[in-house]
Amino acid sequence: MNNNKNWNCYVTLIDKDPAAAIEEIRAGFETAGYICDRHIATSIYLSQKLDKPILVEGPPGVGKTELAKASSEIFASPLIRLQCYEGLDESKALYEWKYGKQLLYTQILKEKLGDLLEGAVGLEASMDKLHEFGDSFYSEKFLEARPLLQALKSEEKTVLLIDEIDKADHEFEAYLLEILSDYQISVPEIGTIRAKNKPLVFLTSNNSREMSDALKRRCLHLYIPFPDTALERRIIQKRVPEIEEDLRNQLVSFVQQLRAQDLKKLPAVSETIDWARTLLLLHAEKLDVDLVRNTLNILLKFEDDIDNMNSDVPKFIAEALKERV
Amino acid sequence: MDKALAEFVEMLRYSDVPVTIKETVDAANTVRLIGYQDRGLLKIALSQVMAKTIEEHEAFDRCFDEFFSYRINPDFAPEEEIADPEEDGNGEENGNEADVLDRLDQGSGGINPTSGGGQGGGGLSGSPSGSGSGSPLVDLLERNDRTEITMTMQSAAGAVELQNIVLMTQRGLYSRRIMEQMGLNEANKELFRREREGDETGARRLSGRLDILFEAVRDLVDRQLAFTATGKSKQFRQDILKNVRLSNVEQRDFKHMRELVRRMAKRLTDLNSRVRKVKNRGHLDIRKTMRRNVAYDGVMFETHWKQKQKDRPKVMAVCDVSGSVAQVARFLLLFLYSLNEVLPKVRSFAFSGTLGEVTDNFNKMSPEDAIPLAIEKFGGRSTDYGRAMEDFKELCLDEIDNRTTVIFLGDGRSNGADPRIDILKEVKQRAKRVIWLNPERKSAWGSGDSEMLRIAPYCTTAETCNTLGKLELIIRDLLKSS
Repeated sequence: MNNNKNWNCYVTLIDKDPAAAIEEIRAGFETAGYICDRHIATSIYLSQKLDKPILVEGPPGVGKTELAKASSEIFASPLIRLQCYEGLDESKALYEWKYGKQLLYTQILKEKLGDLLEGAVGLEASMDKLHEFGDSFYSEKFLEARPLLQALKSEEKTVLLIDEIDKADHEFEAYLLEILSDYQISVPEIGTIRAKNKPLVFLTSNNSREMSDALKRRCLHLYIPFPDTALERRIIQKRVPEIEEDLRNQLVSFVQQLRAQDLKKLPAVSETIDWARTLLLLHAEKLDVDLVRNTLNILLKFEDDIDNMNSDVPKFIAEALKERV
Repeated sequence: MDKALAEFVEMLRYSDVPVTIKETVDAANTVRLIGYQDRGLLKIALSQVMAKTIEEHEAFDRCFDEFFSYRINPDFAPEEEIADPEEDGNGEENGNEADVLDRLDQGSGGINPTSGGGQGGGGLSGSPSGSGSGSPLVDLLERNDRTEITMTMQSAAGAVELQNIVLMTQRGLYSRRIMEQMGLNEANKELFRREREGDETGARRLSGRLDILFEAVRDLVDRQLAFTATGKSKQFRQDILKNVRLSNVEQRDFKHMRELVRRMAKRLTDLNSRVRKVKNRGHLDIRKTMRRNVAYDGVMFETHWKQKQKDRPKVMAVCDVSGSVAQVARFLLLFLYSLNEVLPKVRSFAFSGTLGEVTDNFNKMSPEDAIPLAIEKFGGRSTDYGRAMEDFKELCLDEIDNRTTVIFLGDGRSNGADPRIDILKEVKQRAKRVIWLNPERKSAWGSGDSEMLRIAPYCTTAETCNTLGKLELIIRDLLKSS
């Protein structure tokens, strides 16, 4: 795929009518294999125009991370990913000094010290001489760029994905604020590093805890719910094109019915796709009770859920078989 | 930023979507970008800029539909309040102002249902007879300039602070005030004068026009009410609920109360749950320690530890649910319930005769089920503080340590039984602090069978607590100093 062409056409389109630009973004995502609705396309458009990060929330497996990957593809910009976890700190996310290199250099340069201080008489003069060399050990040469800094220093526009931000600590959220609002990082020893190209930033969250207001204020808020029947059919069609239309409609209908039940973990879109692939592999032509029971473990990930649903399977299948185009 | 957007922001704020200034600026940029033409697109775009949680998105959708069904072209003529009937799905009884004012023109043609066909007078627009009447309102009506009338009406509405309207019942009051502000009294005098002088056509014409104006004002008030009242009246009610005596709150307000209390508890714990201390024990974080000590040539001056401690208070709450405090107990239990939702370490107990733990019920059930159950299970018997203290000691005295806060909720009326002050003393010695919240006023303490005067010395604080506002204050102190 000619990504560069894609990217250029967005730049021109975005300056045109917003509705058309949004439609174009949506179509772009579709070619990249990501089916999205108008909400998602709008937030991409807005984030480009308003220079704001997008906070993506929604149940697991609805394609939050996938959205960032698809964006990186259609905008032909490299994806920089930062996976958050408890205990993540700035030395792993922002930057770190290359301590090893610093130590090594001081050892090597020890011998040079004599040459450098040549002619300096007394302690004070030597000190002054040393000061002339500045803080060369705390310069950008010794700075190890971590994902966030990489995204800012990149020569081309990047897509920065900060995945599962809700897993990180409160402190880390605070580190992020400067980047999110001004696209810059302050390194005490060097100063402020500004973004050469403002990256397109995605933050994803499973809502395992509430984000702080300060963070939310700086972001657009995009909520991706489970797709409705029509959208999910299109997703399956795109991702598993080999599957027959009848079977596709049946399996989507079945999954949609499952989602209406009280389950520990509802089947996500990614699981529907897996199931469609499985059915394809088994050369299934239509859903039947045995087939579904044997493959239910692809959709449901808890023993309890599987047990509870087993008895309802025939009912759901009967309902799903009613689905016609 | 246009006025329509500003009003929309205000409406959102009243509907529990806290739109900050930054978000308002973003919203204005979004509107500039997208415009008002594509309503669906604007809704999607604005919702992402202004609403930041799922609940807020719901409230946003509701407000957006409500707001923009009234205003179709806010960017073209925001100050004229022109509501276009094209999207007329709102089904409100109020017609719309533009239409009513149109009738001012039509009225001159004699087709005016409200004035009962009494407008016999011919073409008014240029009628010289009315000018120079001495009343600005009469002049205005005689001139019949719709824009001017609307402007005057708006400024009058501003002068009487129409935006503060909260309740349906205030409609008459505000309409009247606006009319008076516009000069109703002078106009009435003019009307009398004309009648007295036998200028029947003139009088009828004026009264007909006043009627139409009154209707327009009425519509204006109705519309304002529809904009703000839904959210505002809720807030108004909540403000009142906060300060009303707990014993006087009606059952039907229980639901509002629940929301209020939950938000209160959430806010309080949000404020305080972020305190974390780095512990000086546990595993040494070697890497961080080494890095920190590079400057000292690897000699470990500064240590860094892996473990962090979340500092959250441990709370034990004991609630009297006997007949004498039954009215208040419901709300105290509700507050406990909400605290339970937001703080991990709350243990709740209820008693009247005997005491038992209700934490499990609170964890499993909704408050609508859990609270009546607690009252049913432990309430109804005559209060015996001594017995309750003994039970409490047996159940959990061992677990009280110097980080525990113990809260008692009760009126301290023990029906003559020994309140077992000695146990309370023991509790106080072990606990970080003991708080006694009493729904009775301090002057009533010690009267009759009240043991409060004996109890109070063994509490860190003993306070009267009969409104939610006070409860919040006390709990805030509790969390702050923990």
